[in-house]
Amino acid sequence: MRQRRTTGLITALWTVLAIVLAGCADTGGGRVEIVVATFGEFGYEPLFTEYERLHPDIHLVGRVSDFDSHHRDLITALAVGRGAADVVAVEEQYLPRMRQVKDKFVDLATYGAGDLRPQWAPWKWEQGLAGPTVLGLGTDMGGLAMCYRRDLFAAAGLPTDRDEVAKLWPTWDGYAATADRFAERSPGAKFVDSAGTIYTAIVNQGEQNYFAKADDSFIGDTNPRIRRAFDVAAGLATRKRTAGVTTFTQPWNVAINQGAFATITCPAWMLAQIKQSGGAAGTGNWDVTSIPEGGGNWGGSFLTVPAQGAHPREAYEVARWLTAPEQQKALFLHDAILPSEPAVYHDPAVLGHTDPYFADAPVGRIFAASSDQVRPNYRGLRDADVRPKFGLALGRVEDGTQSVDAAWEQAVREARETLRWPG
Amino acid sequence: MVLLSLFPLYWSFVMATHDNSAIASPVPPLLPGGHLMANLTRMFDTVDFWAALRNSFLVAGIVSVANVLLSTMAGFAFALLRFPGRDKLFVAVVGSMLIPNQLGIIPMYLLVGALGWQDTLVAVIVPGMVSAYSVFWMRQVVREAISADLVDAARVDGCSPLRIYRHVVFPCLRPHAVVLAMLTFIASWNDFFWPLVVLDSNDTPTVQVALSRLAGGYFTDFSLLLTGVTMGTLPVVALFLLLAGRIVDGVSRGAINR
Amino acid sequence: MAGVTSRRLNGAVLLVAPFVLVFAVFGVFPLLYTAWMSVRRWHLIDGDHGFVGLANYARLFADPDFYHALGNTVCILVVATAVQMVLSLWLAVLLDRATRGRALWCSVALLPNVVPAVAVALIFAQLFGRDYGVVNWLLKLVGAGPVNWQAHSWSAYLGVAAMVVWRWTGYNALLCLAAMQTVPRELVEAAQLDGASRWRVFRSVTLPLIRPTVSFTLLMSVVGGLQVFTEPQLFDVAGLSGTGGNDRQFQTVVMYLYEQGFGRWDAGYAATVSWSLFLLCAAFGVVNAFVFRRPRSGAGP
Repeated sequence: MRQRRTTGLITALWTVLAIVLAGCADTGGGRVEIVVATFGEFGYEPLFTEYERLHPDIHLVGRVSDFDSHHRDLITALAVGRGAADVVAVEEQYLPRMRQVKDKFVDLATYGAGDLRPQWAPWKWEQGLAGPTVLGLGTDMGGLAMCYRRDLFAAAGLPTDRDEVAKLWPTWDGYAATADRFAERSPGAKFVDSAGTIYTAIVNQGEQNYFAKADDSFIGDTNPRIRRAFDVAAGLATRKRTAGVTTFTQPWNVAINQGAFATITCPAWMLAQIKQSGGAAGTGNWDVTSIPEGGGNWGGSFLTVPAQGAHPREAYEVARWLTAPEQQKALFLHDAILPSEPAVYHDPAVLGHTDPYFADAPVGRIFAASSDQVRPNYRGLRDADVRPKFGLALGRVEDGTQSVDAAWEQAVREARETLRWPG
Repeated sequence: MVLLSLFPLYWSFVMATHDNSAIASPVPPLLPGGHLMANLTRMFDTVDFWAALRNSFLVAGIVSVANVLLSTMAGFAFALLRFPGRDKLFVAVVGSMLIPNQLGIIPMYLLVGALGWQDTLVAVIVPGMVSAYSVFWMRQVVREAISADLVDAARVDGCSPLRIYRHVVFPCLRPHAVVLAMLTFIASWNDFFWPLVVLDSNDTPTVQVALSRLAGGYFTDFSLLLTGVTMGTLPVVALFLLLAGRIVDGVSRGAINR
Repeated sequence: MAGVTSRRLNGAVLLVAPFVLVFAVFGVFPLLYTAWMSVRRWHLIDGDHGFVGLANYARLFADPDFYHALGNTVCILVVATAVQMVLSLWLAVLLDRATRGRALWCSVALLPNVVPAVAVALIFAQLFGRDYGVVNWLLKLVGAGPVNWQAHSWSAYLGVAAMVVWRWTGYNALLCLAAMQTVPRELVEAAQLDGASRWRVFRSVTLPLIRPTVSFTLLMSVVGGLQVFTEPQLFDVAGLSGTGGNDRQFQTVVMYLYEQGFGRWDAGYAATVSWSLFLLCAAFGVVNAFVFRRPRSGAGP
């Protein structure tokens, strides 16, 4: 009896293992299967059906996950050399890292992607390059605007009309001055969510930031734009104008929900975040206006084709089709995903788009105008190693544990130190 | 003490019954609210929680059974049988208890990739089947519970070690094996780091991987996350309460033996 | 006779073989491979870039961030272990005296250990929130100012240690309880008859006798403490991409390993951090054995 039970257990164990192993075997089909991995809301599903109708020999499979796991899965797959989808979305933030390992991706130029160049805003196209290699084709973009709370502005005696508000801050100094005015009248709420978002916006408005475009040398310590961005942001922090909440964290959600801050730099995709955190009760509280000192971009993604895939040409065709103007327009009309192609964002349907949650702000026009002013923003190969040092430095200023100068010096020192070692 | 021990669990449950904005209230909510069903619905919409539960049960189940079998067999051999290199091997096993779990994560990752196991449950099952701690414990138990004379006598009678294991050792060890299985089950269920690295949050999530997905993204919805935490912990807590007496007994027995 | 020996041998080997096989592949191989990686330049994604000798180790010994992480780890470990040991012993004494419902109390004590570390970390990070955390709310009730728990080393150590203590105290208490129950009642009663106080009996009679268990618990909690990762990592508001606060004020060694390997993709250097950590654990194990075994072997069988 006992004997049978033990043996039974062992048999059961191996049976289950065998089933698990068998479950992983490929299921073949007549058509070529192309897996498209995206994160968050790309809104591709209806387009897949359309593509399969146009290309009966292709079977498209969508794989959607969240921002963090999506990129982590991609990195895992690249490291072990298998398991990546055929077409993989990569967000701007991860691009510098991916450029370091560009050999792991198909150079889309080999399939003629170079000819597509005029489709995109020049800065967007250049972001997708790694030297001469075409790493990815642009999807959405994160044209920068400024979101502000109408109710908090009114309570502080500031104008609420979006054009009037824009006049308060032609420059970042004007923005900082407005923050001080706001603080005098409205001690309960802070003016901005964190020093980090302001810093990122100013840095992203420049053509160069931590590395020289000419020779990729480190210029983070000498580039006046970086220092200025740091001083503006750190100044806001030391004068206690920031709520000190890290973007996308729980305290940040709560702060939006509670109206704990009055402004936030607002890339196009941020609108959805604010809606989600603010909830239906927040309708009409927020408005959108232009950002100081012209346009800028923060975020936006690219479709890449990892080299390990079995069908690179078919994958490229899918990526090309998904990023073509017709599809970008369809995605905008359907899900309000901001296109990165001038022909599309200058389309009357996009320009005329307003958002009821943000007091009917003409967000289409605002983001298009912002994008038109974006200059290509050079990111060095080691960008991802250096960038966080400055963000952490601002955090120290915000925490009140370090002076602005000490934080800056430490950031520069750490950046130099990390660059001493291969990345 | 009891209060301190239970409060975080209770609080996590309370948060799971509120909507996200309740967390921001100036006075933290200390009583359950009415949003549990809404949160559950959202959770099931966000992640395939059933699949995650199924995978976790499968993984933890196989791991605990296999772990018990392998470690009782090895524990028996280390305790009462003679074979070349036994003592050296055992020292290596004990020494490996000092190795940080995260130490070999990168080679493991390459290894699993080379075997073509990544994104499959096999990648978490097979490495989980062995544990130095279990072998160490089972060896102690064997030494205490089974007399060497009995084994010697059986061997003189021509019984193979495998038969002795089946007929004598395993039946004797069964109570300990149940406890070991439970603790292994819990540990495997709660394993986070390795599954996160090696599994795909879409195709083969375990509960912990699914939870990380609720936490990931641009945006964290805390009531949703704590709903997941509560739901993911519930099965283990239930199992634990069912077998509490045995586990408590077994854990303390481990100490006696040392 | 030779036939019998070989059959025995086969049987024994058959029994250990499955364990040894899997253990060798998934336990020993990664360890040795890590050692090999640590003397090479190894990019997580690009792979091996060749032998660099002890360059990674030289870098590690001069790396202030590593020492910083080591310091944080030791501080958290000391706080967590000290509190844990005292609380576990106290709890064990209480449980030892409990006459009714001991099994129930034991279950309650063990319950926190069943909860996944991830869940514990998420819950505690929320409890220790700066703006809306329950702990700060309680502090406010008693008139103390809110604490930005993540911003300072001392407060973050307390927060992380609290999680570790919460999760392991009950478990360790049960181990101590089991040991206490092996202490002969006569010894305790004799000491009490001599007029010794409870504390005195505990210190002079019980504690020396349960020393092996206390030593084992200590060893396990130190080894666990040297490897602490999930709790401090998720205590950082930035989650997995965090570096233990804005000034690495609560980054532990394994967090640093994670940052180097999976954040900076420098697998060779991460392997170096790993091996150094292993050597530290092993060194502690040896010291522990040396310090705690000697009196015991001198005193008893």
